[in-house]
Amino acid sequence: MESQNKNEIEIARRSFLGNVSAGLAGIGVMQLLRDASICGAQDWKAGQGQTHFEPKAKRVVQIFCPGAASHMDLWEHKPELARYHGKPLPGEENYVSFQGKNGNLMQSPWPFVPGGESGKEISSLLPNMSQHVDDIAFIHSMTSKSNTHGPGCIFMNTGHPTEGFPAAGAWTSYALGSENENLPAYVAIPDIRGEPPNGKANWSNGFLPARHQAIVMSNQQPIRNLERPDFVSEQTETASRSLLDRLNQSYAESRPGESALQARIAAYELAGRMQMSAPEVSELSQESESTHDFYGTRDSNSLKAAYAKNCLFTRRLLERGVRYVSLYCASRASGVDGLLNWDAHKTLKSDYERHCPVFDQPTAALLSDLKTRGMLDDTLILWTTEFGRMPTHQQGTAGRDHNPDGFTCWMMGAGVQGGVSYGATDPFGRRAEVNPTTVWDFYATVLHLLGFDHEQLTWYYNGLDRRITDVHGHVISEILT
Amino acid sequence: MFEEPLPILPRQYAWSLLTVIAFVLGVPCFAEEADEEPQFDFAATVQPILEEHCVRCHSPGNRKGEVSLETIDDLLENGYVTPGDAQASYLLDLVTSEDGERPSMPKEGTVLNSDQVAVLKTWIEHGAEWPEEIIVRERSKADGTWWAFQPLRTDFELPAVQSPNSSASDVIDAFIEQRLEEAGLHRNPIADRRVLIGRATYDLTGLPPTPEEVEAFVNDPSENAFEKVVDRLLASPRYGEHWGRHWLDVVRFGESNGFERNVLINNLWPFRDYVIESINADKPFDQLIREHLAGDVLEEDRPDQAVGTAFLVAGPYDDVGNQDAVQAAQIRANTIDEMIRATSEAFLGLTIGCARCHDHKFDPILQRDYYSLYATLSGIKHGSQVVVHKQTKAEHDAKVQPLEAKRQELTSKRDAINREVLERGLARLEEYEQEWDREPIDRRLTTDEFPPVEAKFLRLRSLGQDNNPGNRNSFAIDEFEVWDTADVPRNVALASNGSVATGASRHIEDFPGAYGPHLAIDGELGERFLATSGTLTIEFPKPERIQKITFSSARNESEPGQPKFVFLSDYVIEISTDGEHWEELIDSSQRKPVNEAARNARLSRLSTTPEDQQQLAKLNRELAEVNRKLREIPPLPSIFIGVRDANLAEGPFHLFLGGSPQRPGDLVTPASLNVLDQFVPNYELETESPEHQRRAALADWIVHPENALPQRVLVNRIWHYHFGTGIVETPSDFGYMGAEPSHPQLLDFLAAHLLESEWRIKSLHRMIMLSKTYQQSSDNHPEAARVDADARLLWRFPPRRLSAEEIRDTMLSVAGVLNLQMGGPGFRLYHFMQDNVCTYEPLDVHGPETYRRAVYHQNARASVVDLMTEFDQPDCAFSTPRRSETTTPLQALTMLNHSFTFDIANELADRLRREAGEVPHDQIRHAWQLCYARDPSSDEFEECELFAQQHGVEALCRVLLNTSALIYVE
Repeated sequence: MESQNKNEIEIARRSFLGNVSAGLAGIGVMQLLRDASICGAQDWKAGQGQTHFEPKAKRVVQIFCPGAASHMDLWEHKPELARYHGKPLPGEENYVSFQGKNGNLMQSPWPFVPGGESGKEISSLLPNMSQHVDDIAFIHSMTSKSNTHGPGCIFMNTGHPTEGFPAAGAWTSYALGSENENLPAYVAIPDIRGEPPNGKANWSNGFLPARHQAIVMSNQQPIRNLERPDFVSEQTETASRSLLDRLNQSYAESRPGESALQARIAAYELAGRMQMSAPEVSELSQESESTHDFYGTRDSNSLKAAYAKNCLFTRRLLERGVRYVSLYCASRASGVDGLLNWDAHKTLKSDYERHCPVFDQPTAALLSDLKTRGMLDDTLILWTTEFGRMPTHQQGTAGRDHNPDGFTCWMMGAGVQGGVSYGATDPFGRRAEVNPTTVWDFYATVLHLLGFDHEQLTWYYNGLDRRITDVHGHVISEILT
Repeated sequence: MFEEPLPILPRQYAWSLLTVIAFVLGVPCFAEEADEEPQFDFAATVQPILEEHCVRCHSPGNRKGEVSLETIDDLLENGYVTPGDAQASYLLDLVTSEDGERPSMPKEGTVLNSDQVAVLKTWIEHGAEWPEEIIVRERSKADGTWWAFQPLRTDFELPAVQSPNSSASDVIDAFIEQRLEEAGLHRNPIADRRVLIGRATYDLTGLPPTPEEVEAFVNDPSENAFEKVVDRLLASPRYGEHWGRHWLDVVRFGESNGFERNVLINNLWPFRDYVIESINADKPFDQLIREHLAGDVLEEDRPDQAVGTAFLVAGPYDDVGNQDAVQAAQIRANTIDEMIRATSEAFLGLTIGCARCHDHKFDPILQRDYYSLYATLSGIKHGSQVVVHKQTKAEHDAKVQPLEAKRQELTSKRDAINREVLERGLARLEEYEQEWDREPIDRRLTTDEFPPVEAKFLRLRSLGQDNNPGNRNSFAIDEFEVWDTADVPRNVALASNGSVATGASRHIEDFPGAYGPHLAIDGELGERFLATSGTLTIEFPKPERIQKITFSSARNESEPGQPKFVFLSDYVIEISTDGEHWEELIDSSQRKPVNEAARNARLSRLSTTPEDQQQLAKLNRELAEVNRKLREIPPLPSIFIGVRDANLAEGPFHLFLGGSPQRPGDLVTPASLNVLDQFVPNYELETESPEHQRRAALADWIVHPENALPQRVLVNRIWHYHFGTGIVETPSDFGYMGAEPSHPQLLDFLAAHLLESEWRIKSLHRMIMLSKTYQQSSDNHPEAARVDADARLLWRFPPRRLSAEEIRDTMLSVAGVLNLQMGGPGFRLYHFMQDNVCTYEPLDVHGPETYRRAVYHQNARASVVDLMTEFDQPDCAFSTPRRSETTTPLQALTMLNHSFTFDIANELADRLRREAGEVPHDQIRHAWQLCYARDPSSDEFEECELFAQQHGVEALCRVLLNTSALIYVE
């Protein structure tokens, strides 16, 4: 399948036909040459499970809380906010941010409590997550290029605030290929409430071949077109597939050397295997009662139950060799209130008292489960959001506006130190102050853990060898084991 | 000591060494006076380091940290360099590594090695001399001598070119043969006619040939049989649809705005029709390009040309509305950036967008070139405007204006009565106010108590909204409680008590019940019922004796004034025993008004007399009549060609340092690209020049006959679509990072032909398709494949998979249900939902109204449409000069299981029965003719007859629709 992409431009650039002479059949040669050129003299090949160097992580789950989940109300304790509550933010009085004017500083409505041996304080709204702080590396100094949800989300996912670029999962699919050919390499699991801001651009293949886009599935929504309709009998289906296979084989046989035709036959075989495996992954009934309770899949809060099912589903996908899972907790901004996602403009307190219980137990259960199963050793867990929130309240409201200048993301698992906090915002949480970190640094680190030099994982597109890190990015070595 | 030479020797040492050498050799070795010290060679030593590592960020166009290393000025001024004193020169600290840590500079890329640091140190110690004439700039890899910029070369030495008997097609063959010979390859013989007509028909129209067309061609004995086919296809309207689709890819045409909101644009389709019509009419492409950039101003009163400027705004843009001024400026810059990229890539094949933050790294494009284009396009905003002939506009206005005048007159009469009514009310304000002795309505908690009464139903009816008393429909309720008469009163309205709430509410399609009435009686705050038709009705499980009601929209909220808690200005509460007959229980008429507007609304209600009512009713009737007449006049067509904004177009224009609008740099004016000045007459306009003049100047400059680049780019695109790969493999990048041409002379020959044919492309198709190169078979030869696997040298015709559009059109076409209706609003294969932002759900069933050619699909950005997306239809976030061609299991799943396949299989089966009769053998033959333009083999007959017998013709058709033979052309 890899042979079908047409990104063989390197060769023409280096000198047309100069290289196109080695043996082997057809496009495979071009592929080989292109791959060689991607990695200079090294002979790394894309899409075959190879890496630039020994990886720590074999798979990634990226939990995304869209709407800009507030760093100072969840992860980064800012005691000064309580001390200066109701006073203007020094130097930025009447600051105008995304939605308008800001009022005075506003303390977090909930206390922060220490957890674990590290004593890391996080919000008391997240009691279950608090049990994991010793395994987490918090990055408190993230910054974004956009203060708007849509561009912010795709920036966090693709390294570019405009549409059309591949998401981290698509890069991973391109770099590694699939581990389990019966399942996609990259799966996106949207929240039951709908897609995140900017929708499908968050898991797009961008300019990479279409097969690197995420397959959208969730416990609520199976892969599209997976099942044959009921009115087709099993007999007819079997006979049809076999006739089709013969017709396609004979067409391909009379055209030797056309690898595209062979690829198509293989794709139909793969589709058949996917039809067998994909429904099995969603069979949560195979899980024990206690597992269900542990995740909260039967909670009376239907949003929580749905997210819990997706958490459990995530673990099953990871176990079966899916390389990259993007798991969403919440959806787009609804424009009326903070009902659909973490965008607490008006009523922070009631909004987060709704969202946190949805997020806390199921997420913590997923982390515990992966740990118990020994999967944390080679599974990288990312928690991300598109940007942070202002330390002030939005004028005339009890909520916070967008703040791209400082926020928190975290990593955990394969190759990541636990119980550490890297970087910090200023005492109020307004701006990243210690070790400001970019989304590019974040992904340079993720790729590093996956065994890749982010500067060497490239794809030529319109004038440049493109990278998820654009022309930036440094590995955050301080949080690595 | 010379094994590891220092990059530069300390001056004294060098001096003495040279003296020694001179002494030893006994010859004078300096041209200069012997007592003059030799110059430290800045250009050979320091300059390359700065070029390589520093100036990308520290240039006048970027000035990271407010430092430019273009000259020594900033270094001296900021104390980074103290000539003669390396110790005191901060520059060295910045680039020197300590304890193995990465030095703080350079921030990106490789750090300086110790030799390079030593060079800088030596240079500083020796006075940090920087020759005045040297300005350090990052050099692009390519310069003005780059092949793509050069004038067309037509002095070819090929015999075929010079022979008077050669046709243009022969010349193409000669160029191709020349390269084949060099590689020891041979062109394939002419393809079988069945193959050839399939190839040509798909190539020019994107559709399969009909069996009749195939037979006619196969049996045509005339020498120019193929030429006739080509001419017929070029004359077909299907040609413009197919090649129009190609062009729409190039100009990143998409019908939603992308980004967060991604709203559908429903009046951009006229641009799609304009492209199709222009291509069908063989409109000269230079004219098309001029219309794309300035069609609104080329000629007076030409709406047909003005539509072309929709090109400028056919890309994605962020319209979310940002109050943060810094971000808003950045978003505006991004919007113009998108137009610059689209323009430069589509017409010039240059990635000028790369020069936004600094001079282009690879191509000789300066940052100021980029900002010249910025100035040129600065007046364009996304949006719609009326695009019609002046005459049409005048006629329309003549109809509308008298009615508008009438409407205004009636409206002011009505307003006058309302004012008078209010004044009467105000005159009695004190009197009323004495009756208003209850507490005003409170968003945090409103309470009504009354003597115990029995009710099975209870209804809250709005008489107005607190923010807008005229609105009786919408309000929010976080909880509504009804208390019974028990000693400890019980809230009988609770859903957990068995009560049921009803009332129209704000609806979100993909999240049903998000704002439903059940939220008013769920016993929880936070989530709210959002009424949309002014009532909330609660039914108790059994009749209840009640005595008190409490309700709110912002209970316990510290800032109840926000719009999200919108509440009531006046209301009535009614009860009923059967849900049909209602009696009033209590209302808010005794309460103090919540605000002045609410008070006035109430006063007006109280002081309206029957005469007032009569008059108002009459006026309202008349108004309705006028409005009806206005609605009957069809509105003028408003097209999404963008809005011209003179304020935005007002200079001065600066380049943005590092691409940031917050850091204006040097002034720029609308002007042509610097690097092409050597070949094309340049232009530079005043900053004050009218916005449209700038666009027209740019367009004229692009299509200037001396500007060979756009000509090469265009003919290469045409070649690309004919052969699957261009002579230049990167159709929108003719710069250093793009590919070099496989046949440079051929490219120029084609470009010259384009000029000769006055930029009409049909004759180019003709000459290409009549070549033997085009007509050769696609047979594969392993020996040749070993040399040139992709057939870039064209030893065979490269076979290809159909595009997404072609696949869908083919399925519809062979089934005989393709609807060839041209133009107009597009159809949709998704369900569109809008709730602040938009969501697109792919449809599981495609009705016959979607059986049009895929080019008429309303392509929304970031939407997934099974078949189309899976077969690599681009998202149109960017221009897509070449599509990828992937093969995936998802394609197989969709082709096998989507209801579209079954619908088409049924249609095809019907067609076979209709046209070939009931005999399976005949049906199968007909199916093969339709799908593969040939007869089945005896094996195929046998197997398929048996299959059809056992599983039905429909099932067979489903299989055929999935075959590779249907979707590959040779």
